[in-house]
Amino acid sequence: MNMIDALTTAFQLPFMMRALVVLLVLSLAAGFIGVFINLRGLEFLTDGLTHAVFPGLAAGFIVGGKDGALLGAIIAATAATLLLTWLSNRRVGNDATTAIVFTALFSVGVLIVSTSSQQTSGLEQLLFGHLLTVTEAEALTTIGVSALALAVVLLTFRRQLFRSFDEEGSAAAGYRVLLTDVALNVSIALVVVAASAAVGNLLVLAVLIVPGALARLVAVRMGYLFVTAIAVGMLASWLGLATSFTLSVDAGFNVPGGATVALFFVATYVLALLYRTVVKQVRT
Amino acid sequence: MSYFERALIVTILIGSLAGLVGVLVVLRRRVLFTQALTHVTFPGAVIATVLGASMQLGAVLACLALVLILSLLGQLRGQGSQAASGVLLTAGFALGVVLQALNPTIPVQIDSYLFGSILASTWADAAYVVAGFALVLLALLIWGKQVLFFLFDHPGAMAAGISSFWVDALLLILATITVVVSIPAAGAILAIALIAAPAAAARHLTDRFFVMMWLAPVIGACSGVLGLVVSRSFGLSAGASIALMAAIFFVLAWGWAQLRSPKASAKTTPTAVRA
Repeated sequence: MNMIDALTTAFQLPFMMRALVVLLVLSLAAGFIGVFINLRGLEFLTDGLTHAVFPGLAAGFIVGGKDGALLGAIIAATAATLLLTWLSNRRVGNDATTAIVFTALFSVGVLIVSTSSQQTSGLEQLLFGHLLTVTEAEALTTIGVSALALAVVLLTFRRQLFRSFDEEGSAAAGYRVLLTDVALNVSIALVVVAASAAVGNLLVLAVLIVPGALARLVAVRMGYLFVTAIAVGMLASWLGLATSFTLSVDAGFNVPGGATVALFFVATYVLALLYRTVVKQVRT
Repeated sequence: MSYFERALIVTILIGSLAGLVGVLVVLRRRVLFTQALTHVTFPGAVIATVLGASMQLGAVLACLALVLILSLLGQLRGQGSQAASGVLLTAGFALGVVLQALNPTIPVQIDSYLFGSILASTWADAAYVVAGFALVLLALLIWGKQVLFFLFDHPGAMAAGISSFWVDALLLILATITVVVSIPAAGAILAIALIAAPAAAARHLTDRFFVMMWLAPVIGACSGVLGLVVSRSFGLSAGASIALMAAIFFVLAWGWAQLRSPKASAKTTPTAVRA
């Protein structure tokens, strides 16, 4: 089977179609939220949140299966946000506190997984996902949770935008900063949860961070930022999925699908970077 | 000597080294950057192993590449160092995972690389740590004064002719050495806990720089030993236990600082560090 087939007819297979749908939905939600992550400079916090959600995912998964994982992750994300606000202190830089809180939570997750019986496969699946073997139930969960994340941001869209450009202005206009931040953090956490089956806890960062950063490279106006981020995410998902299919079905490598998808996200970013530098050179 | 005793020695060494360099990293507010360093060592080590070179060498080269790319990307609008390190970080992980999957025979285990494999450490690992420690101590003996001056009084140090670029470069090299040799203990994800937490805990306990310089290594070594003992008694992951122990020390130190002077909490200006 050649690459063209992998890009087109391969999607007639039900598991490929399911993976594609999951990734497209994720790209939509993550691309939208990713623009805010970039505008607010929240990449490090996002990285931390993915680590912080991990113990919730692990504990919830062991206690109550997939539904438990969702609930656990939301609790963990909220707890992490509150813990961070509480521990932040100017004696020690915020970056140090953030790193310590999030890695501590992540190690709790690893400890939880290391005590459970099916640890090896469980840990790798939680970290890197299992894109090509996503079940129907998992796909539905992903769609539902992504929709929820998108809804949270859309409902607070006005204040998120205001907050991104003018923190003091938005506070003066009566929007509560803490509430706005918690809404965005929760929606990031929701995307992390939604993506955990397909791309896993470590690689979800690509889906969340890269499209926003890329859009910022090529677009200037707000509307274009969102459109670019979402479109690029969807394109990279499609190409990444087809490559992963070729690698695992034809070549027989055991590559986590999420990893090839993440690499395609990064590749589109590199292309945008080249475009940006070339255009800049030509215009100046 | 049993494998556990060897692991104890390696942990004590790594804990003290990470604590020592952590003081500089925390005071200069370079934790975020060091975090990106720890993550990017992963593909470096995988590539080096595929090519048949030493893992440590690959990790060092990957760190240097990261520094170079970051400084170039940082000049673009809308691509702050955060966005740039975020992208590189994911690129690092994804690349590492794919390369590892494409070369199933290479002896880099994802689990042990991400979460540490202290119990499997060899005398070669110990030798690397000792060499790294020696380099860091040597650098601090030679340039410690300048670094100290720079950390306290940035404009003053610049006025006295200390180049900000070179001090930052020195800090970066020390951080790279520490990250590369610490990874066996806590892994690529958790090494940052071992670097940041002891130093941040020491910062909560004292305002004096020289006290921090020995307190942080002691806390780091204690976290290592306690984590290892806990992991052995309860059958838990060693790297995660060590990282968690360091975080517990941080929270205890934070609590102690709150008790000692409740007014010196978040809102007030911090007291400056003294020599």
